[in-house]
Amino acid sequence: MSKRLEVKIGKLTLKNPVMTASGTAGYGAELSEFFDLSRLGAIVLKGISLKPWPGNPPPRIIETPSGMINAIGLQNVGLKAFIDEKLPFIKKFDVPVIANVLGTTVGEYAKLASRLDEAGVDGIELNVSCPNVKKGGIAFGLDLKAFYKLIRKVRGCVKQAILIVKLSPGAPDICEFSRAAEDEGADAISLINTIPAMEIDISCRKPSIKNVIGGLSGPAIMPIALRMVFQASRAVKIPVIGMGGIRAGEDAVKFLLAGATAVAVGTAIFVNPRAPINVIEGIEDYLKRFNVEKVSDLIGGLQL
Amino acid sequence: MSSPSLFKAKVIKNARLNVEHFILSVRPEGIMPAAQPGQFFMLGIPGRLDPLLKRPFGYFRVKEDALEFLYRLRGKATAIMSVLDAGDEVEIIGPLGEPYPLPKPKKVPLLVAGGTGIASLYPLADAFGGEALILYGGRNSDELLLTEELRGICRVLGLATEDGSVGVKGTVIDLLKEFLAGKNKNRHVVYACGPRGMLKAVSELGLEGYVSVEERMACGIGVCLGCAVKTSTGHKRACKEGPVFRIGEVVFE
Repeated sequence: MSKRLEVKIGKLTLKNPVMTASGTAGYGAELSEFFDLSRLGAIVLKGISLKPWPGNPPPRIIETPSGMINAIGLQNVGLKAFIDEKLPFIKKFDVPVIANVLGTTVGEYAKLASRLDEAGVDGIELNVSCPNVKKGGIAFGLDLKAFYKLIRKVRGCVKQAILIVKLSPGAPDICEFSRAAEDEGADAISLINTIPAMEIDISCRKPSIKNVIGGLSGPAIMPIALRMVFQASRAVKIPVIGMGGIRAGEDAVKFLLAGATAVAVGTAIFVNPRAPINVIEGIEDYLKRFNVEKVSDLIGGLQL
Repeated sequence: MSSPSLFKAKVIKNARLNVEHFILSVRPEGIMPAAQPGQFFMLGIPGRLDPLLKRPFGYFRVKEDALEFLYRLRGKATAIMSVLDAGDEVEIIGPLGEPYPLPKPKKVPLLVAGGTGIASLYPLADAFGGEALILYGGRNSDELLLTEELRGICRVLGLATEDGSVGVKGTVIDLLKEFLAGKNKNRHVVYACGPRGMLKAVSELGLEGYVSVEERMACGIGVCLGCAVKTSTGHKRACKEGPVFRIGEVVFE
């Protein structure tokens, strides 16, 4: 296969820069009915915690103009069931597997990371930006001191896998947090997670989702994501994985030009499960149309 | 069961039954998907940003090489759907979800429909080859659709309207209670589809059978976990473990 689309994240070489965004691809089984998962640059799986989590009570989602708000609350099978039941399936594909983890304490993150590293995942994405869980998670993504401490500890536990830190769009200074992740040895940062948001049903004067506040995703947030990826990528030397509203090759190219090394497709998968493939093909079309030799030539290629 | 696919389809016609109700007929590119009663499809207009997500519609029927969807005007998405014209393109994912299980031998299928819940029960009645009993309720006569066709595919059709314009005055639950009065409940297997309140009421009558729930969905294929339903054994996905659940499984609040 042509190496035209190849990019590198830490020691990991991706055959193309397109991943799934955590929480939009489950653990792979459902999407595999729609396309060959081996075509992805990497698959980022649904976030997992130490113990199974039931998630938030329904209703959990509401559509808003060009986007949606969700408060799933990290419903997941827990670390043990993930390693025993979910990981073997996805490892059958020729695709780097990135596990997304969320803990309520530094110790939980560390345990998750070291167990998954031993279990042979290719990457670990630290979720310090989920707006929908009560404890932990986003608290680490908004407090710089706690953030430093967390990444230092987890870095020490991860030997084989690459370590990615997923940043919150609510971070007081995205550049500062990006540099902190880099300083503590993260191989990459990913952004943005969903943006805290809400919707109201005026017929019953109630919030549209039970959790009241959820995370906004989809094309509605793309300009914000693009701006933050642009800022973050200028603050660090490690690769940035950009996401937020990407649904076509053109969108991905914008993120690459803004400074992302790779991109993730999220909400667009809900609309069309083959969206990541459309994005890969759209990037290829762009390279041909504009006579660009390889995708890595686009990274940070924005002309100011 | 056939696995779901993603396909484009061309609108053949979009027939208005009355003020709020329509039947959209589409011809899929490629082969006609083999859906079973109780399953559903996600339907949307490709490339649109608002509404962005597809919407779930119960499998209604295949007629004259067209896949048909029975729907009611409810919001932005169905309003846009209602102005689709012959030749327009839609994008569909399906068939999705678990179908209605068949009844045990000697049990009589009793179908309980509220409003557009009839869309998913219509093919089930058809599959029972005239053996099913149907109780069907709506707020008014406009909400009782295709009653003549239904009469042709079932043994008994009982109707109820809240305004009393057609059939018994009251809800389909009133009709169901009246129907069951003095009868042996165990002879029937109930299949219910309709508003949440109706499904809750059906579930409280101590009957054997199934309910088909309707939940907001983002993906319909089991990855977003947005359509979680509270059940006696934890959250389940309406799109994957459902939309059909055994009576007693769903915890209605």
